[in-house]
Amino acid sequence: MLSIENLSKSFGGVVAIRDVSLNFTPGSLTAVIGPNGAGKTTFFNLIMGSLLPDQGRILLGGENIAGLPTPQIVRRGIARAFQIASIFPSLTVREALLAAVNAQRQQHAKLLARFPLAASRDRAQEIMHMVGLAMKADMVSRSLSHGDQKLLDIALALVLEPRVLLLDEPTAGMGPEERWLMIDTVHRLWEREKMTLVFIEHDMDIVFKIAQSIAVLSYGRVLAEGTPAAIRQHPAVIEAYLGSEYAGRA
Amino acid sequence: MDLPALANCVTSLSCIVTQSTSGLIIGMLLFLVAAGVSLIFGVLKVINFAHGSFYMLGAYLVLTVYGLSDSFLLAVIAAALGVAVFGLLFERLIISRVYGSQVLMQLLVCYGVILIMDDLVKIIWGPEFKSLGMPAAFQKPPYLLGGGVVPVYYLFLILLTLLIAVALGLAITRTRLGKIVRAVAINPGMVSALGINTGYVYAGVFMLGGLLAGLAGALAAPVRSIVSGMGLSVVVESFIVTVIGGMGSVAGALVGSLLIGLVRSFGTIGFPLFTEGLMFLLMAVVLVLKPSGLFGREG
Amino acid sequence: MRTSSMRRDCLIALIVFAALAALPMLWPSHGVSDFVIRLAAFGIFATSLNMLVGYAGLESFGHGLFFGLGAYSFALAMQRLGTSIPAALLLTVLLSAAVAGIVGAICVRLKEIYFAFLTLAFQMLLHSLIIAWTPLTGGDQGLTGGVPRPPFLGIRLDAPYHLYLFSAGLLLLCLLLMRHIVQSPFGYTLRLIRDNPARATSLGINVWAMRLAAFVIAGAFGSLGGVVMSLFVSGAFPDFAYWTISGEAIFMIMLGGTTLFLGPVAGAVMLLLLNDVVTKLTEHYGLVLGLIILLFALGLRKGLADYLAELWRERSARRLAMPLPAAPFAEPSNKLSGE
Repeated sequence: MLSIENLSKSFGGVVAIRDVSLNFTPGSLTAVIGPNGAGKTTFFNLIMGSLLPDQGRILLGGENIAGLPTPQIVRRGIARAFQIASIFPSLTVREALLAAVNAQRQQHAKLLARFPLAASRDRAQEIMHMVGLAMKADMVSRSLSHGDQKLLDIALALVLEPRVLLLDEPTAGMGPEERWLMIDTVHRLWEREKMTLVFIEHDMDIVFKIAQSIAVLSYGRVLAEGTPAAIRQHPAVIEAYLGSEYAGRA
Repeated sequence: MDLPALANCVTSLSCIVTQSTSGLIIGMLLFLVAAGVSLIFGVLKVINFAHGSFYMLGAYLVLTVYGLSDSFLLAVIAAALGVAVFGLLFERLIISRVYGSQVLMQLLVCYGVILIMDDLVKIIWGPEFKSLGMPAAFQKPPYLLGGGVVPVYYLFLILLTLLIAVALGLAITRTRLGKIVRAVAINPGMVSALGINTGYVYAGVFMLGGLLAGLAGALAAPVRSIVSGMGLSVVVESFIVTVIGGMGSVAGALVGSLLIGLVRSFGTIGFPLFTEGLMFLLMAVVLVLKPSGLFGREG
Repeated sequence: MRTSSMRRDCLIALIVFAALAALPMLWPSHGVSDFVIRLAAFGIFATSLNMLVGYAGLESFGHGLFFGLGAYSFALAMQRLGTSIPAALLLTVLLSAAVAGIVGAICVRLKEIYFAFLTLAFQMLLHSLIIAWTPLTGGDQGLTGGVPRPPFLGIRLDAPYHLYLFSAGLLLLCLLLMRHIVQSPFGYTLRLIRDNPARATSLGINVWAMRLAAFVIAGAFGSLGGVVMSLFVSGAFPDFAYWTISGEAIFMIMLGGTTLFLGPVAGAVMLLLLNDVVTKLTEHYGLVLGLIILLFALGLRKGLADYLAELWRERSARRLAMPLPAAPFAEPSNKLSGE
């Protein structure tokens, strides 16, 4: 589905991503882990076209999308949610999703019709149900709780019916209970939508619980990749990142 | 458009000299205003649209003090200091209250101040055009350079502002105060964490901006007519200069100002109808090719 | 969910039009009908600016460009080309849209302060062109000699009552159209961009193209404000393109507030009334206006209508003792408030 080949990016001499090659198979659920500054968010930004890679290819279903502008990458089926919920503060949940559905259907430039388009209503409603925001449909986004804002962010990505969904720390800034609720939601969405899901996560309990495969980034390089079991045993990972705590734990 | 006239001018040494000197004084006066606009923007991220009023106030103050004391030197110093104080009051009482607001809110506040100032000078000094006349010390025969005429005052003005430009550049890059100013521009939070009162720095930058703009108005008085509303075109040109030179850069402000001054003086010969258009064109080209300006940092 | 149908809006517009049409009979005064005509000019103009500021988040400081352009191109088309009034209107709108397309293509990708000043710079460019190009524009004396008004569709704009009705009708028509645009899918796309351009981009929206479209639409409508003004004064003056026109429109928006669609019109009413009162009382209009601006900007920090709407919302929220809902007819953003 999504295949990264020899991707590199540096900022004024500082290498952020160095020769990264990773392959995400269709319908897989992959966690990207690594210490702060390992280049995880930069990696997402490169895939989304928010940053231009210095070299390397990003293949989506065989087509190289590296260097395309973001809207075109989005149209080809990659969507993302952000580490800090990126929402539309002054619109209600419903308005934001309806407008996003319009954008997805290329009807966002329509001048003659009235908002909301009848055809968008069902889809917006469906997505609110999927992420559990249906009860809060008419709340103004900025007044939502932190967790609900993150859910709305994910909902906005889901509108795009992505083949590949990138989630940048879906549980960042949440309490333990909220975290697991979020992860449940994410896992349910992945099972239901059968999409390729890649998420950045710091909580190792979460990572080892739900990820099918794990990629470890460190100083912009792929330190290791493989199944949770393999990563747990990987000497370099244990030394550099996980610490002995995770070694051998079932 | 009058290209033959322009061609005639650039092939005649006397015309080149005359136009260049007049371009240089336009540029130098503009620099004094633009340096303040640029510094204020660099440090506070606010475009002081009322900066033209500072310039206007300088011209009117020099008019009054010169009339009272008959000393041009005293009048210029008084005007510069007076406008510096005005800059301080303006920062503390008015503009500091809309830091962090929307751009239009800041512009609206400045618009209010401009309206007030333009009316106040009419009330105090009268609505008609005023002129200072050339101070006695400069009433000497002009220098002749390659057939071109260079008035003594022009030469004085160019040298003085050049001196100020160098001093300002050194102050910003070499002194401790300059370092603090640059640090505030990059990261105000970090600087205040180090125990430096950023409020003082902001007020200080406005005083400096006021001082320079007041000086510009005072020095312009002998060669310009003084009238309510004279500041507007200067502040718009200052903005153009800041865009061309790069926000917050003294060297950029100098180069940009001189460029604009020369474009204006030669432009009036070649494109009398489109001199302003030339400036905007210059700005548009810079914005397209190097959005951060000739001397600006990227990003 | 807001239910504001086009039909309801049209109905309201018709009722208001009927009321305005009857007004000169109930209250026969030159002052009143002149006021409505000026209100038409500035109501259209300020609302078109608010499409940029309030809905698209584009803080233009040079919208007066289109007011001046509208006035001059309409007056010149009537004087020089001798066309019919509808043809001159069409020409003006097309020309303004074209100019907005060029200016917007350069400006809309810039960061806010650059955008504000570059739009102002283009306005100053037009102003200096008008002053310099005397043979065409009459220079600083303005375009005199009157605007010819051949009758069309039974409308004779040389008759004061016809001009009055035409202006009121144009105002309502423009408001209806602009209302429709901000309530269209495109209008909501602009809100997305205003709130979070980066997120809008990652939804697949071409932010630059949408902003440019908004700029062109706002420019075209803004020019119609200038048209009404040129009919009112029977000519065009460089002041119409001067930067203070932009400043006044911004103040109108701020007086009336950006969160209600009709806020800018309310602001235009307030500023025009203020204008009339102050000029009657003193010759120091600038001084008084400047003080009032500072009072509003530093004291209230938002538009009067926004302030009242917020007060009302807070009161009803307290009464219901539940999370703050959006006022049913308000755009819940706080542009121009100092946050």
